[in-house]
Amino acid sequence: MHISEGILSAPVLATGYACTAVGVAVGLKKVDYDKLPEVAVLSSVFFVASLIHVPIGPSAAHLVLNGVCGLLLGWAAFPAILVGLSLQALLFQFGGLTTLGINTLTMALPAVVMGSLCGMFLRSKSTLVRGVAEFAAGAGSILLSGLAVAACLLATGSAFGPAAKLIVVAHVPIMIVEGLITIFVVEFLMKVRPQMLEKAGVPNLTG
Amino acid sequence: MHLEEFALGDSIVHKLDPRVKIIVAALFSVIVALSSSLHGTLLSICFPFALILLARLDMKKVLTRLVVVNTFVGFLWLFLPFTEHGEVIYTLGPLEVYREGVLHALLITIKSNSIVLVVIALLGTSSVHDLVHGLHELGAPNKLVHLFFFCFRYIHVVHEEYHRLVNAMKMRGFKPRTNMHTYRTYSYLVGMLLVKSFDRSARILSAMECRGFKGTFYVLEHREIGRRDYVVCASSILISLMIVTLR
Amino acid sequence: MIRLRNIRFRYNCRYVLDGVSLEVLRGDRIGLLGANGSGKTTLCHVIMGLISPESGEVEIFGKPRRTRPDFTEIRGRVGYLFQDSDDQLFCPTVLEDVAFGPLNMGKSPEEAKRIVRSTLASLKLEGFENRVTYRLSGGEKRLVALATVLAMEPEVLILDEPTSGLDEPTADRLAEILVASDLTYILISHDREFVDRTTNKRFQIKNGILSQVA
Repeated sequence: MHISEGILSAPVLATGYACTAVGVAVGLKKVDYDKLPEVAVLSSVFFVASLIHVPIGPSAAHLVLNGVCGLLLGWAAFPAILVGLSLQALLFQFGGLTTLGINTLTMALPAVVMGSLCGMFLRSKSTLVRGVAEFAAGAGSILLSGLAVAACLLATGSAFGPAAKLIVVAHVPIMIVEGLITIFVVEFLMKVRPQMLEKAGVPNLTG
Repeated sequence: MHLEEFALGDSIVHKLDPRVKIIVAALFSVIVALSSSLHGTLLSICFPFALILLARLDMKKVLTRLVVVNTFVGFLWLFLPFTEHGEVIYTLGPLEVYREGVLHALLITIKSNSIVLVVIALLGTSSVHDLVHGLHELGAPNKLVHLFFFCFRYIHVVHEEYHRLVNAMKMRGFKPRTNMHTYRTYSYLVGMLLVKSFDRSARILSAMECRGFKGTFYVLEHREIGRRDYVVCASSILISLMIVTLR
Repeated sequence: MIRLRNIRFRYNCRYVLDGVSLEVLRGDRIGLLGANGSGKTTLCHVIMGLISPESGEVEIFGKPRRTRPDFTEIRGRVGYLFQDSDDQLFCPTVLEDVAFGPLNMGKSPEEAKRIVRSTLASLKLEGFENRVTYRLSGGEKRLVALATVLAMEPEVLILDEPTSGLDEPTADRLAEILVASDLTYILISHDREFVDRTTNKRFQIKNGILSQVA
């Protein structure tokens, strides 16, 4: 969920920038120069993916995939998402530039957290365990992002209470869809290019 | 994909140094975002409008860009007038409309639009390449700058691949619906894009190594700041200060 | 200049290169033919040090090359034109892409810019410096990619399917450039006519074996 300009209070915006700066610094440190093309190109995929709309009941939602991002990139998700969001704000006016810090934080931190929590289960030979972990990574990232957005609005003013609640509720169907999509995407990658899941600790099955 | 559609042009605004544009846009955005004065923010909109007129941008296209922002703001209008308690100015059946809520929603509306317009007017009138160069010269980390360059460079390639895959799917009768088949299909599409891009990034790295890449990225210098740029910068700072002091 | 002795390389269980030996002398213009997947690109990747053979020796410019630093030395002296120009043109503008090689070789930004201008001029691509790479046409991309490699002034050039996706006028232009230059090169191509025009020795890889053809 991209928060637009002019809504949040100064302390929230500042916290967003400060935490994102830390996250990006950690992420950049973990990306060696020879991994830079990989992170950048995956970042473009996430950018393009966010333009893809999937039907959910009567309406549609655009793909977010921050769960997959966290599984594939780990901490590098911070700079990757920052770049993606900056370009979205600049080229389409999705989100905003004053809110770049807080938007990156609400999307990247859940990605990193769920990525590291669920990543280790991808090594399991059991399809059920893997499936649950993959669903959790996708759905969990969206849930945490939604809660983070709600928290930001509430921190700005209690008048945002009902709006914040509705935003969290609206995230529930998206959570389920993203959870399912994460399962399919990760299983696809495992079959076709398991090396991509190195960060999650999946052994290279083709040897 | 019609990216950078405002960047082609040769008006004064287009020709300003990107560093100046970034600084002015950032300063203006922060000041407006934190302002709580209705008059101040209302007056502030004149600044981006003036720039848009100077830059001779297509007003219809600019207004289309405002749709996304105003959708979220519109969503807030459904809540704030009823949830921000204070003086009741209207009663809509069981709901009470509060003055503070309406003013707050109005303030947000003006602020959001003002900032978005400034971003379009100043940052939209330079190419992404020039802006990232500007960031580099303003001291952004080297790795981040090159992430921007690479990412933007390959967005077009990935988007073309996406189109090819989607068309191939449609030609085999794919119709998106709310069902597992649709979600699985889109997932394979994303998976395919990820795999192709991962493979491509390995080839790019090989190409870089074949041209002697040893771990350092160089950026060639770009342009110099002219007198006109300093003038614009200074006057923008003055205007911004005026907005701040207005109550 | 390049000497390969008994190179063996396999993908999974199949020996793509099974005892391949090749000698490239100064002035040679070698065409490498063969079906898809026959190992032509693999052989050239071995020369560039991008992959290591299972057995066999690689000698370039009189020195055996085994480790990564051995190959880092030859980069720039052996140039490689990739099959997909989008893999080669990774900078935003033509100027930066063509300058990438020279800058890595230690040239100063001013020298690099001068080299860029003269290389583009030699390929009749004057004025392309500020063009954005992803907006170029397929043919323009191929020629600019060639410029990025030529800017390093290589002694030997490897071209992987240089005419794929090119229209006839651009392919002709490329042929002219190659024939008129004094470069030594290895050319991988399906285009028999192009190969006949631009090469003086032809080889084929079939079932992992390299053999000379007419």
